[in-house]
Amino acid sequence: MTADGVLLEVADLRARYRVRRSIADRVARRPRQWVRAVDGVSFSLRRGEMVALVGESGCGKTTTAQTILRMVEASGGSITVDGRDITALSQRRLRPLRRDIQMVYQDPYESLDPRFRVRQTVAEPLLVHGVGGSRRERDELIAGALERAGLAPASLYLDRYPHELSGGQRQRVAIAAALALDPVLLLADEPVSMLDVSVRAGVLSLLDGLRRDGRLGVMMITHDLSTAAHFADRIAVMYLGRIVEYGPARQVVTDPRHPYTKALLSVVPDRDPRVRRTAQILRGETPNPVAIPSGCRFRPRCPIAEDRCAEVDPRLAPPATEAGGPGPEALPAREVACLLA
Amino acid sequence: MSGGPLLEVRDLHAWFRLHGGGELHAVQGVSFELEAGERFGLVGESGCGKTTSILAMMGLLPPNASVSGEVRLAGADILAGGEDSVRPHRWTDMAMVFQGAMNALNPVRTVISQIAEPIMLHGGAGSGGGAGRAPRTGRVSRARAASARQRAGELLELVGIPAAAGSRYPHEFSGGMRQRAAIAMALACEPKVLLADEPTTALDVMVQAQIMDLLVRLSEELGLALVLVTHDLPVVAQVCQRAAVMYAGEIVETGTTDALFHDTRHPYTRLLFAATPDLYSDDEVTSIPGTPPRLDRPITGCPFLPRCDSVVARCESERPVLRAVGARQAAASGGAGYLAGQPDGDRGHVAACHRNELVEAIEKESP
Repeated sequence: MTADGVLLEVADLRARYRVRRSIADRVARRPRQWVRAVDGVSFSLRRGEMVALVGESGCGKTTTAQTILRMVEASGGSITVDGRDITALSQRRLRPLRRDIQMVYQDPYESLDPRFRVRQTVAEPLLVHGVGGSRRERDELIAGALERAGLAPASLYLDRYPHELSGGQRQRVAIAAALALDPVLLLADEPVSMLDVSVRAGVLSLLDGLRRDGRLGVMMITHDLSTAAHFADRIAVMYLGRIVEYGPARQVVTDPRHPYTKALLSVVPDRDPRVRRTAQILRGETPNPVAIPSGCRFRPRCPIAEDRCAEVDPRLAPPATEAGGPGPEALPAREVACLLA
Repeated sequence: MSGGPLLEVRDLHAWFRLHGGGELHAVQGVSFELEAGERFGLVGESGCGKTTSILAMMGLLPPNASVSGEVRLAGADILAGGEDSVRPHRWTDMAMVFQGAMNALNPVRTVISQIAEPIMLHGGAGSGGGAGRAPRTGRVSRARAASARQRAGELLELVGIPAAAGSRYPHEFSGGMRQRAAIAMALACEPKVLLADEPTTALDVMVQAQIMDLLVRLSEELGLALVLVTHDLPVVAQVCQRAAVMYAGEIVETGTTDALFHDTRHPYTRLLFAATPDLYSDDEVTSIPGTPPRLDRPITGCPFLPRCDSVVARCESERPVLRAVGARQAAASGGAGYLAGQPDGDRGHVAACHRNELVEAIEKESP
């Protein structure tokens, strides 16, 4: 671990997908096109911290996670985990490090093998990585992981099949499987969006508790700003492959600076019917990342765009009004990618 | 019909016959009513009977299901005569947007042709109606097809899609546009009641806001009565005037969305709100322990009992029924707040909770 406790450092990360060309495209010699799914993302995550990546579908949240996991190759930038640059590590050299980064997927109805008992599901990563030599050692690790994931006593769950578990329990099994290897970094991709409202809080509190133990850091991907505001330390708002606002969760929610963040927050419905926000409904949907607009990528949908926004591509920087000096609680100050913030 | 509500659901039950024998009592006496232009939310966890209720109202449950109760549209019970009595009303008076409807469009046909089809078959209200209804398999005259297309174009415009875009295929539409198209399709025959099952669940917040905006606008401009089925309380709070909270196949609390939030009477309603994170509130978000009860066996006592945090003695032996709750202020001024026994057809605030009744009785005695 590095001195300042930074677990994950992502700098100017880029990832792109090739767009398939039809025969007609080839005959017409149209140039090859790329989807710039992640287009210069930078953030860091410390041990014991939870960062939420928030944005609409297609904004590059999941690709960012997949690139950090090296499931998708980065086309630029760097990923540093625990002080080691893993961006260009060969798959063979990467393998032992994979234990450190684990992923929890959105849908526990699909991510668990229906023919595996809970024991097998949690044992799988141990076997793959050759951890826990003897059967007894392995059983201890499995039980420990299950109990850490809130499935105690483990003996009650070990021999069950997924169909015998509720949605919340399934997601806890998936989390246990991720914890079995004692990772330092947990990537959770929409970990509760498929679960019933009644059990969401339990799973989120579990993730919250895990990182508060201080052994690991959590990067949570979510489209739900309320969830991010409640559970994350910091929020990174993504738009079209880039972080447009990044800062302490409370600050981002109560005092948003980027017009996109403002718009997103304005459409979050409130539980209280008496609270009516003036919804600032943006027209249309996120543009196609094949053709990212020039200058500020949010400009075509931005309610306050000016002429200069077409020329300058704003980088993340502390907003003019609060430049300089770190934010409260020694968290890095908030940054906004907007010329007018 | 004058006076009565536009839609009145009374004591609706639905059972499913199970493979190994036995029955699953999915809907256990649901009642509510709706006026034209009113928006009503049906909320609760999955498996509590929300979707089954509205499928039963549409007469669309599978053959292994049986239904009892009344669904009155402008006074006439459309369930009374089985399929024959539902069919004339389905889609023409009462229509439904299915969960995931946006993903159920036919991928190899243009969007506008899919919207025009039901208009041709049902003779959508705009194109002559009744006597001219085309036979199911028969050919449709060219003039009729053209007018159906014209109407489909108008419907697309109504839901915010340029008519010209209708000649595109579903895959060329974004998720939000497909959902709009699905809503346009449900509106094809100018229904008076629209049942929408989780219409925004798979959509992004911004698109969700656009669709909710559309549904509110449709209910206001067309006088459409909307039943919104969702697990998302904040959406209901912002879109609907009234809502019912369902648990284990029955409604446990009905009221204005304002009363449900500010004067919550059923512990389940309160816990559902507590489980829903709010942007600006620092309240701890808590989950509800346990799971809903199985509905394939009879329930004695209160179905919520095993998960409830405020149990009284009576909860174990007696199933609570919906009773009008006293408005707290009215009770203080000695008004006739406690209409015990008043069934849920009452438009006021009702809840099925023994503890609430006890608390009210005590408050009544010592104001």
